[in-house]
Amino acid sequence: MKSQFTRREVLATAAAGAALARCSKAPRRFPVSNVSIVKASGYSMDVYDTVYRMIAGHGLNVRGSRIVLKPNLVEYDANTTINTHPMIVHAVYEAFLKLGAGDVRIAEGPGHRRGTLDLADAAGYFSTISQFENAFTDLNTDAVAKRAIPNPVSKLNSLYLPHTVLDCDLLVSIAKMKTHHWAGATLSMKNLFGLVPGAVYGWPKNVLHWAGIPETIVDLHHLFPKQFAIVDGIVGMEGNGPIQGTPKAAGVLVAGRDPAAVDATCCRVMGIDPKKIEYLRIARSEENLGENAFRQVGENIRAVRTDFQLIEEWKSIRLAA
Amino acid sequence: MTDWAARQNSDGGWAYSRGCSWAEPTAFVLLAQSTGSPGRASFLKAGKFLASLMRQDGGWSPQPGVEESTWVTALAALLPEDLISEQQRRQAIGWLKDKTGRDSSWLYRLRRRLDGDKEELPEGWPWFPGASAWVIPTSLGILAFERALRRGASDRNELQDRIDQGKKFLLARQCEDGGWNYGSIHALGRDGDSYPETTGIALLALNGVPRSSQLEKAKAAARRHFSGCRTAEGIAWLRMGMAAQGETIASAVDPVRRTNMDDALMALAAAPRNPLLT
Repeated sequence: MKSQFTRREVLATAAAGAALARCSKAPRRFPVSNVSIVKASGYSMDVYDTVYRMIAGHGLNVRGSRIVLKPNLVEYDANTTINTHPMIVHAVYEAFLKLGAGDVRIAEGPGHRRGTLDLADAAGYFSTISQFENAFTDLNTDAVAKRAIPNPVSKLNSLYLPHTVLDCDLLVSIAKMKTHHWAGATLSMKNLFGLVPGAVYGWPKNVLHWAGIPETIVDLHHLFPKQFAIVDGIVGMEGNGPIQGTPKAAGVLVAGRDPAAVDATCCRVMGIDPKKIEYLRIARSEENLGENAFRQVGENIRAVRTDFQLIEEWKSIRLAA
Repeated sequence: MTDWAARQNSDGGWAYSRGCSWAEPTAFVLLAQSTGSPGRASFLKAGKFLASLMRQDGGWSPQPGVEESTWVTALAALLPEDLISEQQRRQAIGWLKDKTGRDSSWLYRLRRRLDGDKEELPEGWPWFPGASAWVIPTSLGILAFERALRRGASDRNELQDRIDQGKKFLLARQCEDGGWNYGSIHALGRDGDSYPETTGIALLALNGVPRSSQLEKAKAAARRHFSGCRTAEGIAWLRMGMAAQGETIASAVDPVRRTNMDDALMALAAAPRNPLLT
């Protein structure tokens, strides 16, 4: 049978195919998002106004929305700074109400300790946030539903997740700025591990570890496209974080609509190269983690950079001066 | 005295604190009630809720919406006699017999050997199939298998072997300070700290282990935790654990009870005979 294509057509098709193949390998470009860096020297009443202005500056329309605030509550040790400071959580809570949110809930599912309310009490949440228990949902024991992971990068195809977060209009990750002995740094994206219900997967949520820590961080990030991220770096943790490290005052709050952009900025503030943090590389690719990939609002990174001490195993992630 | 019927959900189960019913708080409330004289209708309704969580594979799901059998299967096997049939208990034990931590799979052991790690890894139980073994599910697995042995299970050698392995697992996961945390004693060479509640449940599961310096160190850790513990969960498990080791400890602290689990565990700790050990 005679070919229906001329030689020229075949060559043109091959060239077009090669061009398309090159296009498909081109890195995905992400829209340039704003990341605000605000100086805050301590946990004083000023923080309420600082947090309100920082969130309002991002122009979120939350009128009537259901907001879930996800702090980082892990363990309590009076000698260090493991958890998001309760005053920051309260300031964010008040800010969203002031911006017209219909409902604001604080929700967390710690990965080590089963008594979430006891942990919150020890960490000062009950004494700082009035009627805390009424505003709080323990994500470890909330009703759950199974959700397929869109284009998973980990070995998981689906996860059971709590209704409280599946049903919200905006998920606000309020993380602590810390180094992490398995992930390099734990910030707003890693904080989403606390969404996974312990009553299904246990304490710790070891299924995530077996499926790949950086990969599951990215999968959880993709499961919640409507997010806002705030990182409490007023006093963070350096060294052997996320639990056994030492307090480190960075004196900043970092926030934005794009958690990966916020985390990459936090890394630079901590003196960590974001391109060497695997979950950020998977989420954005190196090309989208450069300093110019985000629009910094407020303080300049160099002005607030405070190198966090790194344990031996993570020395290689140090950002060049 | 807790009014359990007033807190019971319409499906017969209990929530951890509020909201939907889960297998774990329902099982612990029933175990706590079994130490007294429970309201019959409420008791049986709860039993029906739990029975609805039993799955084709013989295991039990933690909540009606979850299509997986998990660690709560051990709790089902520990339920009072009038709530679980002998066949259901056998099936639950059968499901548990098939489950070990992924860290004791031959492939993982081989990998560790090739990495030069020769440390023995006894078999424990995971929270969720396909994950590693941890302290709490292993403790509950031991208690469930001991219960099955007391009830005259036919596969005695197999069950006893898993009990022995589980106890070895717990002893291998004892923290440097003498107690237990969830089961990770080192991270990058640094020692992890123990917790009151996990120290208590491990000591309970280690009932019958001969006296040793390792056990004495664990009891010392439990006493230390107890003197500073303010949570109902911690106090209750420590009391149960120490009682299983022949030591009664009383607390001057009346802890805040925030959840159904807190109340159920405190009731179990106050019972003259712990139903988890009978």
